[in-house]
Amino acid sequence: MGAASSSSLASGAAVGASRTRSAAGRRVGAEYLMPAPGMLLVALFLLLPLALMLRFSFDHFSPGELLTGAFTFENYQKFFSDGFYQRVLGTTVFVSLVTTALCLVMALPLSYYISRLDHPRLKSTLIILVVLPLLMGNAVRTAGWMVMLGDRGVVNSIFVALGFSARTILYTPTAVIIGLTSVLLPFMVITLQSVMEGIDRRIEEAALNLGAGPLTTFMKVVIPLAMPGIVAGTVLCLILSMNAYATPVLIGGPKFHMMAPTIYDQVTQGANWPFGSALAFVLMTVTVILTIASSLVIARMSNR
Amino acid sequence: MSVLSDRSLRRLGRWSFSGLALAIFAFLILPLVCVIWVAFFANKIVSFPPEGYTIDWFKNALAVASFRDGFLLSLRVSALASLSALALGIPAALLIGRRQFPGRSAIMGLLMSPLVVPGIVGGAAIYMFFIEWEVATEIQMAATLPGLMIAHTVIAVPWTMRVMVASLVSLDPALEEASMNLGANRWVTLFKVVLPVARPAIVAAALLSFVISFIDLELSLFLVGPGRTTLPIAIVSYLQWTLDPTICAVATIQIVLIGSMLLIADRFVSISKAF
Repeated sequence: MGAASSSSLASGAAVGASRTRSAAGRRVGAEYLMPAPGMLLVALFLLLPLALMLRFSFDHFSPGELLTGAFTFENYQKFFSDGFYQRVLGTTVFVSLVTTALCLVMALPLSYYISRLDHPRLKSTLIILVVLPLLMGNAVRTAGWMVMLGDRGVVNSIFVALGFSARTILYTPTAVIIGLTSVLLPFMVITLQSVMEGIDRRIEEAALNLGAGPLTTFMKVVIPLAMPGIVAGTVLCLILSMNAYATPVLIGGPKFHMMAPTIYDQVTQGANWPFGSALAFVLMTVTVILTIASSLVIARMSNR
Repeated sequence: MSVLSDRSLRRLGRWSFSGLALAIFAFLILPLVCVIWVAFFANKIVSFPPEGYTIDWFKNALAVASFRDGFLLSLRVSALASLSALALGIPAALLIGRRQFPGRSAIMGLLMSPLVVPGIVGGAAIYMFFIEWEVATEIQMAATLPGLMIAHTVIAVPWTMRVMVASLVSLDPALEEASMNLGANRWVTLFKVVLPVARPAIVAAALLSFVISFIDLELSLFLVGPGRTTLPIAIVSYLQWTLDPTICAVATIQIVLIGSMLLIADRFVSISKAF
């Protein structure tokens, strides 16, 4: 009511003002409405559904009925009392932590190598070749790892050619970690490379001139200066691996369970919306806690 | 003598470092290379090395209804989502990229928020919302083209914004002032000065949004229906049962399509800057 009366006052004042001024004022006002349609879309079709899902997670589940309107904590209680779902969460956290650590270990040398290339064309080609797989889609990239790790896949063929016996790699947790690491590595490389690009090479030269070896320079100079990128890349990889779907489903096989496929099954196959919603919020909460904890751990390690 | 050995040691270190970096690089690229390779294998059961080569699997891939329909649906959804994201994102970027005002970062934060919501969580939420919507209004949204298109527009908007804002922020305000001083009004300035300068970014944003929509798997999982699946979902459901050269041919088609779009986009605006 207050807002409505003040806006009518403002328009009254505009009518009283000179013609050009009121037109200019209206145009400036209209300019600030330009993001409105996009904001409306995101609010209506993402934020409102998320709010609705939060509400659903406190609803009582009765088969055949979408919503009962009850308010209960039973879905969260079910999660914390059922060992199966805790193991699923445990697997998800474990796979995510190992994957993120592997991504970091592999991305550090690769992004440092790319950031210190003197050849501009080679550098931009390598960057493109890192970004391209990222945008090929998880379905296609996971297909690639099935070809690599299958019983008659590339890796087993090499094993056999070298005289070892073929072994089952696909449908093991190890395979999931390998596949996920490869899927998420580009995010870490791009993040680290852009930060390392900004590190002044003279600082490294100074360290080398003062007698530090290349490895010491990397560990004591480059890594501490790349810390913002390391934190950002770690957070990104943790979020994406906690929520991974295609890799656990295809490479992990039907007996391997992670959170994202479990949520999908609950919401669609089981049609248990309240429990599926609760699982989604447990996953988001644990992901946030994990990202904050890992940022703190990395910050402490770098301060030492 | 000791200087020489020290130097050769350095060189050895540098070579082994390059080797390590390239090995990690191979870990990234090799799976995709192998998919393309297998797509041309003559033998139906994937085993290495191949017995010969053929291009028959590509014909086979297009003959499978779920792949052909999925490809066509994905093309339609992505084109519509990309255009909608431009229609919503360009006006927003014109304000955010060129003006400083209170609440600017809040608006940007809201428009970028689809990036931080995980696909599975967002997909589940939108799916339940669409079903509730259907119960309330009797208008079906889940498992329809408009429903898919709306959801894909939501995830394409942040990418459009990133590319457009980055381009408009670097636009020299003197250009606009000069145009206005020379007597052009705001609209003429917008269409004759600002948008032409931002054209490369618009092309890149359109292509990147298309790709983001085309490859989406997690969000679409909830929103497709029987006889109405996108290509990535058709690929995943096929892979749950079989891995053969046909599926590798389908994947190769997607790799070639996406790869060429990204390379074109990269000619306009460096796509690595969008991350």
